[in-house]
Amino acid sequence: MRPELERLQLIEQQLLNNPAALPAQDWNVRLLIDGELAADAQAQQQLYHGLRVAGRRQLRQELRLIHERLHAGRFAWLRRLWPG
Amino acid sequence: MTTSLLSAPAATALRDALLTDRERALTRLYRRAFPLVRRYVCGHGGTAQDAQDVFHDALVVLYEQAVGGTLVLTASASTYLVGIARNLWHHELRRRDRLPHEALPAELELQAAEESADTAEPAFAVLDYVERLGEKCRNVLLAFYYFQQPLTQIAAANGYRSVRSATVQKFKCLERLRNSVRRAFTAETIEY
Repeated sequence: MRPELERLQLIEQQLLNNPAALPAQDWNVRLLIDGELAADAQAQQQLYHGLRVAGRRQLRQELRLIHERLHAGRFAWLRRLWPG
Repeated sequence: MTTSLLSAPAATALRDALLTDRERALTRLYRRAFPLVRRYVCGHGGTAQDAQDVFHDALVVLYEQAVGGTLVLTASASTYLVGIARNLWHHELRRRDRLPHEALPAELELQAAEESADTAEPAFAVLDYVERLGEKCRNVLLAFYYFQQPLTQIAAANGYRSVRSATVQKFKCLERLRNSVRRAFTAETIEY
């Protein structure tokens, strides 16, 4: 992977408590050495929050479709008789 | 059946079912539990739409707990789901008593309760850029980060030859999202 992607991976491992995450002490050393790491990690955390909101939105959309499929059909014959 | 015998395997089976075929597993839960929730909500001062809203909130909670590995089932998944929905409906009734003139969609209330003030606003800003990603990138990111599907499944569903390729693609998509958000925030900073 490109170094930029490896950096995303490194931050992800820390933020999502991946088994490959660095020990806290090593991560703290990286934060001291790399002046942009803390800001990048914060930005990446916001991406994960945004993805969670987007995921919930998609799940709700899927639930609405399931609802329509299961329940809207029950009265479809009525709507055909009395459209509008 | 004792609680200890029921809880772990039932939660694992539900998790597996949701990850393997989400639509099918959710439809099954919907068929079993929604009529009970609708009857309860409509019998306690709510409408059919209220019932649908709290039921969807309850399913979101159940989904996140199940795939996140934090779900402990002491009864069937449907019973648990009805319990969550009843609690949410009581919560909503109390809110309506306190603020009778403020209509707040249950969806927003759930999000407000779970997101802290510090993270909610940036998350909604990021949401716009998630929507603007290409369909494939959006699917890969949501499948991994929200729906928590394994990379093997994501690779197969999106035509990647290996887990490694899917991993690289996932990080490329994440980078694209980050860059879009970063560009937008930089532009905003310059404007002001």
